[in-house]
Amino acid sequence: MIEDAALLNPPPASAQTVASAIVAPPPKLAVRNLDFMYGDSQALNNISMDIPEKQVTAIIGPSGCGKSTLLRVFNRIYAIYPGMRAMGEVLLDGENILDTGYPVHKLRSKVGMVFQKPVPFPMTIFENIAWGIRHHEKLSKSEMDVRVEQALRRAALWDEVKDKLKRNALGLSGGQQQRLCIARSIALKPEVLLLDEPTSALDPIATGRIEQLIEELKRDYTIVIVTHNMQQAARVSDRTAFMYLGELVEFDATEKIFTKPAKRQTEDYISGRFG
Amino acid sequence: MSSIPAIAVISSTDRRSRADARHDAWFRRLLKVCALLVLAALLGAALSTLWGGREVLFGQGLHFLTSADWNPVTDTYGALAPIFGTLVTSLIALVLAVPLSFGIALFLTEIAPTWLRGPVATAIELLASIPSIIYGMWGLFVFVPFMARVEPGLSATLGRIPLLGKLFEGPPIGLGLLTAGIVLAVMILPFISSVMREVFQTVPNRLKESSYALGSTTWEVVWDIVLPYTRSAVIGGIFLGLGRALGETMAVTFVLGNAYNITSSLLMPGTSISSSIANEFNEAVGTHRSALIALGFLLFVVTFVVLLISRLMLRRLAKREGA
Amino acid sequence: MAVDVYVRRRAINVAAMLLSGLAAAVGLVFLIWILWITVKNGLSALDLKLFTRITAYADEGGLANAIVGSLVMDMLALAICAPIGVLAGTFLAEYANRTKLGAVIRFLNDILLSAPSIVLGLFVYVIVVLPMSNLTHGAVSFSGLAGAIALALIGLPVIVRTTDEMLQLVPGTLREAALSLGIPQWKLTTQVLMRAAISGIVTGVLLALARLAGETAPLLFTAFGNNFMVANPLDKMASIPVAIYQYTNDPNPALHAIAWAGALLITLFVLLLSLCARWYLHRHRVTHD
Repeated sequence: MIEDAALLNPPPASAQTVASAIVAPPPKLAVRNLDFMYGDSQALNNISMDIPEKQVTAIIGPSGCGKSTLLRVFNRIYAIYPGMRAMGEVLLDGENILDTGYPVHKLRSKVGMVFQKPVPFPMTIFENIAWGIRHHEKLSKSEMDVRVEQALRRAALWDEVKDKLKRNALGLSGGQQQRLCIARSIALKPEVLLLDEPTSALDPIATGRIEQLIEELKRDYTIVIVTHNMQQAARVSDRTAFMYLGELVEFDATEKIFTKPAKRQTEDYISGRFG
Repeated sequence: MSSIPAIAVISSTDRRSRADARHDAWFRRLLKVCALLVLAALLGAALSTLWGGREVLFGQGLHFLTSADWNPVTDTYGALAPIFGTLVTSLIALVLAVPLSFGIALFLTEIAPTWLRGPVATAIELLASIPSIIYGMWGLFVFVPFMARVEPGLSATLGRIPLLGKLFEGPPIGLGLLTAGIVLAVMILPFISSVMREVFQTVPNRLKESSYALGSTTWEVVWDIVLPYTRSAVIGGIFLGLGRALGETMAVTFVLGNAYNITSSLLMPGTSISSSIANEFNEAVGTHRSALIALGFLLFVVTFVVLLISRLMLRRLAKREGA
Repeated sequence: MAVDVYVRRRAINVAAMLLSGLAAAVGLVFLIWILWITVKNGLSALDLKLFTRITAYADEGGLANAIVGSLVMDMLALAICAPIGVLAGTFLAEYANRTKLGAVIRFLNDILLSAPSIVLGLFVYVIVVLPMSNLTHGAVSFSGLAGAIALALIGLPVIVRTTDEMLQLVPGTLREAALSLGIPQWKLTTQVLMRAAISGIVTGVLLALARLAGETAPLLFTAFGNNFMVANPLDKMASIPVAIYQYTNDPNPALHAIAWAGALLITLFVLLLSLCARWYLHRHRVTHD
């Protein structure tokens, strides 16, 4: 099935990418002719892209270009607001998540999301992580302790909070809160991690730690990051998509996007001539 | 790779998903029922008093509203005197409370030093927290004797003015429509003034500043800029106070004098819808009780309309704020 | 000529400012006057027998049964209106925020907030007291339960409104964060949003208590009153406000003294409660902005 999909939708035909497509893993997320309506205005226009497994894909573009909207389609969080519609297909491992029969509960346990501003729940640090797990799995007390510790270690937060797990999470610094939110997401053992400008509310040092973390997490997770910071995209991502006015202008290896973009608009944006 | 556990996992998450959806639907229904209880309370208050007063409301019809003859002995019930008393006391309350509230709001938004505004505003709003029975006691034991001393002076001065003087004739016993109106004015003062204060604060500073820049005085800015800008909400606040005054019971029942009078003098004892109900209900039987419940229906309908107007006026400004 | 106009404008302004200061002073004078009288008369009548003796002893008695009755009915009223009010307010904020139904309920709730309490008493008389009396052939008519239901109707709109407002202050990102973990809406609402807004919701409940504890009119034909100590909510039940009402209507000055003592108790209770709640709400709002 997966091979079929790849054959039906061959990657853009340049000699270089055809060569890389042969060794590239099959797409984790495949977007097919996606349109998105916000009331009467069209926010995304006929987007198609393959997001490879266990790599970091960055989505960049000027504000209002639809990059956050695209990300919010991937876990259907947009659906909590009335008047928003997504048309087309988004295939997660070959299954269309936009299909109303696809259970949201299952989707969101497979696709985690971290937001711009850190949003810890008004509970203890431990509960922030255990609460989400508890809804998906029945674990014993000791199993839960192990899971919480794993998640915190994975998010490089364990050493800082291991002595204050019973304290309210609101007492952590902004950077620690954001890593807690990442830990909260990966505690559910998702396959895809969506990061919506995860460092835009953080200072440079906290930002550095998160970027380092992304680097480590991509061994296990497929990561999609939306960022307005081009240097960040260049530093952390393997592939970069450039969006403009609701359209996907260019999507290629990060190195290529930042050195030899194929499209004029991409070049203008990268070189800072607009946006 | 065995595919059977994978299927098992998927079907269990599917089941979980369906359970979540079901719980969500039930939760939503529960919440909705509770919210609808608010509607039920209002509708129930109207319908139950209509039902309880049906004997008089439908038996006597318009006569109930136009007759001033209220006599439990002969079982005749005309509500004109309590209606008159309710309207007159509320009107007195408005005449006194509106300018006072305006002054307080003006003081708190434009004139008082900033450090004084918070404490004074809280103190004025505390007037609204004092239970109405306390107003009643204070009214009866303290304010009525006080008015009995003041009223001869009123009769001697205002009472001499032609026409208007009619309002201040009569025995200076302290009890009566004027006293009840003043007590009501104090009670509704915090409601009107806090609405006015809040809406005055919504006037954009640039509007006020541009007027000050033309050399306007504080008074001119308030009168020419602030008041026109907030007119509908100010009227809404006044109607809110009116709604409170119309329905108030305990504060007026002690000081009205409980006489089924319709007189031109404000110093004469009177009655009101709410105080008639409070005073007579527990001794009333049969038609008398029905007449009192019918009065309650009347009171509810009138206050509902007044409060409806109030909220609609208040919402207008809120809408403009949002736009 | 120009100078004249200027002087006149200045004079009007000064007069307006003086009058507005005077208006504020008038408001304060009445507040202090009422409080001073209540404290003065109440303190001089405050006595231990107020808490130990029941109203049946008349001018030798106290308010023990009224205090107990008030406590029972106020708590019962809260037990009725707090859960309903919190759930209804949650519906408005979380499920019906931008719907027509939500707008209508919010609007009518504001009207219920200022509806005449005596009519709410009549309402409960017609739907609770009369049917109970018919059902039990007069064995149960006026009751503490009926009184509590009437008081609950006074408290309900206060709680609905504060819950609605407090939940709307909770940032939307918290909802997205929980939903993106696959948590269902009901769990999100009860375990995250209500927890985030809990202090505000509790304050609303306290404000409702402050409002309903001082009410007299709705109790007259629901709980009626009782000169003896009862804790059974199906009996006629005494309350501090109704006892004050009855004693004030009595010509005996010794009973007036007891009424003042009751007035002091209820005023202190209500004022302290609403002051604390206000201060708390205010602080809460400021930190959220």
